[in-house]
Amino acid sequence: MTGEVGRSSIRSDGAAKTTGKAIFGTDVILPGMLHARLLRSTVPAGRIISLDLSKVVEFPGVHGVLTAADTPNQRSGLVLMDAPLFASEFVRFEGEPIAAVVADTRAIANQALALASLEIEEIHSVGSVEEAIAPNAPLVHPDWESFATPPGLEWPRSGNIVAETSSDPEGVDEAFAGATTVVEDQFETGRQYQAYMEPRMAVAEFDGQRFTIHVAHQFPYNVRDRVAAAIGVNPSEIRVVGHHIGGGFGAKLDTGLEPYAALLARRFGRPVRLANDRSEDLLTCQCRDNAVIKIRTAIGKNGELLARDVDVLMDSGASATDIPFLTSIPMHVFGSLYRIGPVRIRTRAVYTNTAPTGAFRGVNGTHLYFALERHMDHIANRLNIDRLEYRRSNLQPDGCKLPTGQVLNDAGILSEAFDAVEQLAPWNGLGQGPNRGVGIAACMWLTNPMPGSATLKLNSDGTLGVLTAATENGSGAIATGVRQIAAEEFGLPAEKVIVTMPDTDAAAFDAGSQGSRTTHIVGRAIREAAIEVRAQILDTAADMLEAAPEDLELANEMVSVSGSPSKQVSLAEVAATAQANSGPISGTGSYTTPMPPINPTCASGLLFPAFPTPTYHVHVAEVEIDPATGIVRVLRYLVAQEVGKAINPQAVRGQIQGGVAQGLGYALWETLQIDAGRYSQRTLEAYGLPLATDTPEVEIALLEHPDPAGPYGAKGVAEPPIIPVAAAIGNAVEHAIGKSVNTIPITAEHVLEALSNS
Amino acid sequence: MRTKLTVNTRDVSVEAPPTETLLTTLRDRLQLTGTKEACVEGECGACTVLLDGRPVDSCIYATAAAAGLSVTTVEGLCGLDGSLSPLQQSFVDHFAIQCGFCTPGLLMTLNALLEANPDPDREEIENAIAGNLCRCTGYTQIVEAVEAINQESLS
Repeated sequence: MTGEVGRSSIRSDGAAKTTGKAIFGTDVILPGMLHARLLRSTVPAGRIISLDLSKVVEFPGVHGVLTAADTPNQRSGLVLMDAPLFASEFVRFEGEPIAAVVADTRAIANQALALASLEIEEIHSVGSVEEAIAPNAPLVHPDWESFATPPGLEWPRSGNIVAETSSDPEGVDEAFAGATTVVEDQFETGRQYQAYMEPRMAVAEFDGQRFTIHVAHQFPYNVRDRVAAAIGVNPSEIRVVGHHIGGGFGAKLDTGLEPYAALLARRFGRPVRLANDRSEDLLTCQCRDNAVIKIRTAIGKNGELLARDVDVLMDSGASATDIPFLTSIPMHVFGSLYRIGPVRIRTRAVYTNTAPTGAFRGVNGTHLYFALERHMDHIANRLNIDRLEYRRSNLQPDGCKLPTGQVLNDAGILSEAFDAVEQLAPWNGLGQGPNRGVGIAACMWLTNPMPGSATLKLNSDGTLGVLTAATENGSGAIATGVRQIAAEEFGLPAEKVIVTMPDTDAAAFDAGSQGSRTTHIVGRAIREAAIEVRAQILDTAADMLEAAPEDLELANEMVSVSGSPSKQVSLAEVAATAQANSGPISGTGSYTTPMPPINPTCASGLLFPAFPTPTYHVHVAEVEIDPATGIVRVLRYLVAQEVGKAINPQAVRGQIQGGVAQGLGYALWETLQIDAGRYSQRTLEAYGLPLATDTPEVEIALLEHPDPAGPYGAKGVAEPPIIPVAAAIGNAVEHAIGKSVNTIPITAEHVLEALSNS
Repeated sequence: MRTKLTVNTRDVSVEAPPTETLLTTLRDRLQLTGTKEACVEGECGACTVLLDGRPVDSCIYATAAAAGLSVTTVEGLCGLDGSLSPLQQSFVDHFAIQCGFCTPGLLMTLNALLEANPDPDREEIENAIAGNLCRCTGYTQIVEAVEAINQESLS
């Protein structure tokens, strides 16, 4: 063994990405390629009175336009078929596509689009979650009942409520009636824009029979299936080719521009590139949902948590996207971490006349744990118990049960995470001094279980090829983790493993870069494939060495006879011999995590029933407030994270450092205010991303409790680092100023306002 | 209008409208796609190139204004044999890259920094790259990659 697993091997794409040679989606140039732009709604809600594109079509260099009149009259979506390609009669959010123009250059397309004559009569918009559920609220989709769902998938929805998950176990009201103390909170959390550096794009071509779509996308197979449904062709008529991805963070899991590019390529007979500029990307991105969370906990005379009642309102925007899955997540959060009696949870996601929301690293975990852990601080403060001590004395043990009935066999790991942050910096030494505060927050999170596969081929020069449709989204899951796992299997150095870029014509299904799954799932698929490949290697080498396969050892790129190290052949010789005599050495493996059992009657609308491969984490933030400006400075940030096994410790560190930075942005700076359905912030500058000067170095303790089902024990890594950040920061700010700020982001203005409220 | 300039030590002459940005000229006319377009508002630094050694946002810089000047892009950082420069190699070695979209702009900004100040401290490095947005890394490993060069050059 070369020991690739556990080593900080450098990224396979490092040279390409430092020399400018890496081809990202936005760099794809095809012969004869045309450029498209979308005409978008300028209002959040309205009726299209007239649309005249004659001057656009006549503009020199324009090839033509497409509108709803030219496209299949159908709606599509990830789980609910509620989104048209082009608005026809009504527009439902600012930025909704109304028409597409295709021209020789992007500049011409822009100039032509400015000549479009579009008249929209603005109608009253539903701009907030509260408006959406108000009695007699206008319906964002008056025809909501007609929207189809996938076969066998139904959930409660009605009017503006696009999905509802609810659970009402016995004993909640009784517990509140008998409680010594009741603590109640309301939290309001804002949207967060993924703000990947590469705006969304697509390039499509049509060869008369099939489409090829070039993407920088986290989930190429989803592009294939979603485009097929949107434009009315079979999935097999579409090939999706993945290029380097300039960041995604969840926003490049669903389709966006790809169906338009495909339709335009077919209609105008040339390859078509469609790319967002930054402003339209920000306005139309499927951001992390904003939410309003009410939480109430009944507490007994010894401080025990008797019962809880939670009401979550999530903003789905103008279509459902993946939100009907996310209304399940509170069921996995609000009964986790700490021992508690029955928990009543109602989660509703609602339509509003705003851009559809969707997946962002950690999804709604960021605001659900913000509510849970801010609330825990408020309980401890009310009981006059140290916040850390209160948490530690209520930690769930191994074998505890979530409200879903899922048993967490390893919940006790959380206690070790609390120990680990204490070792990094003792709790009592932090947040001391004027205007300083310390906050702590924990979380339990899943590793996405969705399926993946890998095909291994041993090349005749002794290198190993890995064919997979999984994507390298920047995390290093492919560029380090998957590559190192494959190398370890065959005693190869990582440099001798070549992992393909994704191509849906070539590799079997993979569920994409989401939910921290790639290293865990694809790594395991590689181990499955390696069993077959290893057997072929040993069979071939056994013939060559005139030994029994069970007497052979595979290490350091050689196969040797146990006890007779001089009798050996190289992997290259084995591969070449097999290729000539019995055929090339290759094998395929697949994996998906079995879902843990739950109680199916625990809730209605539970589309996402369990949290497989859970991991446990504790974050500590120390902050200093400037009382004159309200500005919050992060002095220290500690993370204890359970990873199963760190396949590449420096890559893991990068995920934690980067995830915390995004969490700090969410907690403190990144702002998308919605005013009557419109975003007030419309540029990166106004939005307020974290800068190098804002972001502290994160102090990290890794916990490694190997998962028997994971490759070399690896569990998911990438999502958890962003999840408890806002909670830890919020708790630290409250500790510093003695006032509660129950919103996200906690801007300087919010801090000043809290300070001025006596 | 015709503009003559030097790009990565090669003399070029481009015919472009007077409003065309240097970024468009580099990417669309010269097909030097290493320089990235991310915001076109001079905010993110992904399009940073060196103009006579000085970092500029090529997305808001007119090509016409670069007449007679020397432009260096990320494609001009390698050795003639394609070998990585010490800064490029340090980015690879210290995990300063994740998605890599901001990397070319960061490399140009940092080349200018190291030219002016061969031994910057952490604060100087952070200030230098405060105009380069990176959404993936949280910046620490980028700063460390620069610090490592200092240590190597001092040792």
